Amino acid sequence: MMSCDAFRTSFHADTENAALLAHLRTCDRCLDFAATVDPDVLFRSLGGEDLVPPGGVDAFVDDVMRQVRVRSAENTVTAVAPVSWTRRLAIAAALAVVITSATLVSRNDTTATRFEPVKRAAISAPRAALTTKPVVETYESDSATIVEVAGEHNDDVKIVMIFDENLPADL
Amino acid sequence: MKRLLTIVLTLLFLSASAFADDAAEVGKSLTVHSFQFKYKKAENAAAAIKPLMSAEGSMSIRPAANSLVVTDLPENMKKIVAALADFDVEAQPFRLSVRLVSAGRVGAARVAPELRDIESKLALMRYNALDNLGSADVMGKEGEAGQIELNGYRADFKFGEYDPASDSINLVDFKLSRLEADQLAPMMKTTLNLKLGQTVIIGATKQAQSQRALMIVFSAKR
Repeated sequence: MMSCDAFRTSFHADTENAALLAHLRTCDRCLDFAATVDPDVLFRSLGGEDLVPPGGVDAFVDDVMRQVRVRSAENTVTAVAPVSWTRRLAIAAALAVVITSATLVSRNDTTATRFEPVKRAAISAPRAALTTKPVVETYESDSATIVEVAGEHNDDVKIVMIFDENLPADL
Repeated sequence: MKRLLTIVLTLLFLSASAFADDAAEVGKSLTVHSFQFKYKKAENAAAAIKPLMSAEGSMSIRPAANSLVVTDLPENMKKIVAALADFDVEAQPFRLSVRLVSAGRVGAARVAPELRDIESKLALMRYNALDNLGSADVMGKEGEAGQIELNGYRADFKFGEYDPASDSINLVDFKLSRLEADQLAPMMKTTLNLKLGQTVIIGATKQAQSQRALMIVFSAKR
């Protein structure tokens, strides 16, 4: 095994010495030193010039590029693939469910929180009962009983009797 | 496939019905109309149109501006507009006829000839003796005071406002007094609604069993 001092003494650029290159594979500090002297020494130490793919570099590159094109084509085809009509129908149904549910929930909420205007009894009473006013609107007495004698609606004579203890007896 | 289609159609139907309800509510929308009065008071106008309003209607009186804001269904608003147009007019003249009749329950019936028109009606109350104490006609406009003097009786009153909804004139504070020893003794005070063209008989007596009653016969016309 070569020492680091021996390596640094013997090492020079473009060296092909197998012992020096073998030392580089085991010593990081000497590798850093060697890289400052000869940047290509790392590749030589790995024996990269001997790594030739089966069928040659050109065949390897062609194979890689073919794979790249195939993957690219697959992605493109996947992106524009049409959705089947059954799936579209399913999506539409799901959307309809969501919209209907939201609408119904919204309507229920609105009904629950809506403030109804206070209606006065006089306004909500049937019209027929109010178009005819009472003949006696007011009468000043604490002991009077007023009786409107029933008659036909279009009667041309209307009788109202006032029974009042405060009235004189000799009327 | 068919099941999916059925579900979709059902959901669409539900959605449509939900929105259809909303559309129906919108169709029942209310309209708002503001009225300003020249001759009559807004509060009296409010009372006049009350019978014409629907259950959904409401109104707001603004006394300072003598105006009235009415909210109601469009078809009702037409009637209200027409009624208020009739209502807010210059004071109208009316003719009031008043007759005083002394009515009694006696053995032998006797009815003054000029009282034949009310004889049958008072017979229902078992009054068969009718004596005419006097009659008078008074002309007056809305808001004007009136006075009648008849055989020891005196009536003071005021012509109130005409109500187009009930076609009646208001007779305000009708005070009937009787002359007793040179003094006017008050007998009754009342406010009446007299329908135009209708004869109204106000019978006054102490008790239902009383044998005598005073009948005041009113008739109001334009």
